[in-house]
Amino acid sequence: MELLGTVVVLTIKSLIFILGMFLGAAYLTLLERKFAGHVQQRPGPLHVGPHGFLQPIADALKVLTKEDLVPDSVDKFLFYLASLMAFVPAIMILAVVPFGDPFTIFGVEIKPYITDLNVGILLALAFGSISLYGVIFAGWASNSKYPMIGSLRKAAVLIGYEVALGFAIAGPIMMAGSFSLREIVEAQQNIWFIIPNILAFVVIIFCILAETGRTPFDVQEAEAELVGGYVTEYTGMKFGLFPLAEWYIATFVLSAITVILFFGGWNPLPLMGWLPIPAFVWFFIKVFLLFMFFLWVHWTLPRYRVDQITELAWKVMLPLALANILVVAVWIMIFG
Amino acid sequence: MELTAFWIFSSLAVLSAVGVVFFRNIIYAVLSLISTLIMISGLFFAMGAELIGALQIIIYAVAIVVFYVLVISTVPEFKGKAFEPKFILISLPVGFLIFLELAFVSLYGAWKSNTGIFTPEVISEVSNVKAVSTVLFTKYLFPFEVASLILLVAMIGAIIIGKKEHVIDEEAKS
Repeated sequence: MELLGTVVVLTIKSLIFILGMFLGAAYLTLLERKFAGHVQQRPGPLHVGPHGFLQPIADALKVLTKEDLVPDSVDKFLFYLASLMAFVPAIMILAVVPFGDPFTIFGVEIKPYITDLNVGILLALAFGSISLYGVIFAGWASNSKYPMIGSLRKAAVLIGYEVALGFAIAGPIMMAGSFSLREIVEAQQNIWFIIPNILAFVVIIFCILAETGRTPFDVQEAEAELVGGYVTEYTGMKFGLFPLAEWYIATFVLSAITVILFFGGWNPLPLMGWLPIPAFVWFFIKVFLLFMFFLWVHWTLPRYRVDQITELAWKVMLPLALANILVVAVWIMIFG
Repeated sequence: MELTAFWIFSSLAVLSAVGVVFFRNIIYAVLSLISTLIMISGLFFAMGAELIGALQIIIYAVAIVVFYVLVISTVPEFKGKAFEPKFILISLPVGFLIFLELAFVSLYGAWKSNTGIFTPEVISEVSNVKAVSTVLFTKYLFPFEVASLILLVAMIGAIIIGKKEHVIDEEAKS
C-alpha cells in the first residue's frame, strides 16, 4: 500500500514537473524572441494577445497542425526516434534537479524534487550526454548531406566539451564532499562555491553554450552554410522538438545545475537573508539571471569556426578545469 | 519492487542483446547495443549500486559507443550490409574464449561476494561512492595504477599509429 502511494505521488510529481517545463519552455521562447528583438532594436512579437503575450500558444498550435512530411529516402524508424532521443534525455535531467528544501504545507510534507540520489550530478551529466545520440541519428537517418555535416560538427563539439565539463564539476563536488545536488546546496550556506571555483565557472559557461548550441558555438546549424543543420529534413512538431529541447529545456536545466553548483542554490543572497522571500523564489531569480546571461551572449556575439571550437575545448578549457581542481585542493588544505 | 524492476530490466537487456546479434542493418545493431547498456545500468540501480549505474551510462553507453556510432554512420559502405560468412571461423573460437572468461569472472564474483568488510549495512551507512573509493585507493591502488598506465600506453600508441605521414605537396609548393 505504501509502495502504491509512493508510485502515485512520484507520477503526479513527474507530470507536474514535465507540464511545468513544457509551459515554461513555451514562454522562454517568447522571452528569447522579445529579448532578441530588443537587442536588434525591433519590438519582437507584438500582435497575438496584449504585447505578444499569447504568441507561444499560437506558435504551438501552428507547429502541431503543420503537415508532417517525411522525405522518401530517410530511415523512417530512426527519423522518428531521433527527435525523441534528443528531447527525452533533456527533460529526464529534471528528475535529479532539486528546486528547494522539503517544506510542510497543511500538514503534508512536500519535497520539491523527484529523487535525491547520491549520484545526482553524475546522472545529470549522463542524461545530458545521451542526447548526443539524438543529434547523430537525426543526421544519419535524414540521408542527406547538410544534416550529416551538421550532426558530425555537433558531435565533435559535444565530445570535446563533455570532458571539460566532467572535470569542471569536480571542484564543487570536492568542496561539498558529496555527489548529491541537495547536499551541495546545503554545504554553501556560509560561502558560495564560486569563490575558489571561478575557473570552473568560466569553463562551465563555455560548456553550456557549446552543449546547447548557442551562438558562439552554433556551427551545427549555421544557417548560411548548412541550411538548418541536422533539422533540415524535419517538419512540424518533430522539427519543433529539437530547438525546444536544446535551446530552452537544456539551457534552463543546465542553468539550474550551475546555480546549484556555484551560486548557493536556494540560499538567499549574502546579507539579504532577512527578507521574507521563499527559498524557491531565490532559486528561480538566480536561474533566470543566468538564463538571461546566455541569451545576452547568444544575441551579441558572432560564431566561431569549427577548428577554433575544438581547439578551445582541448587546449584551453580542459587545462583550465584541471587547474581549478588544483586550486580547490589547495584551498581545502588551507581553509579545511 | 526490486524483483519487478529486475525482471523488466533484465528481459529488456536480453531482448536488445538478441537484437545486437540478429539485426542485419549495422546501425540498428548499435542502437540495440546502446539499449542493452542502458538496461544494464538500470539493473545496477535496482541493486542499489547507483555509482556503477551512473558510470555505466556515462562511460559505456555514451563515451565508448559514440565512437562506434560515428565510425559506422560516416562510412557509407556499412549501411545495411551483412557480414561475410568466412569471418565466423575466426570469431567462433575468440567468442568461446571470451565466454569462458566471463563465466569464470561471474562465478568467482558470486562466490567471493559479501566476504569483504563492506556489507550492505556498512554501504547504506557510508554510501556507494565512499565504499568504492576507499577500496580502490587502498587495497587495489596498484592494479588501478597499472590499468591507467596501460590505458595511457594504448592511447599514445593509437596516436602514433593514426598519425598521417607528413606529405609535402609538390604542386602546392611550386
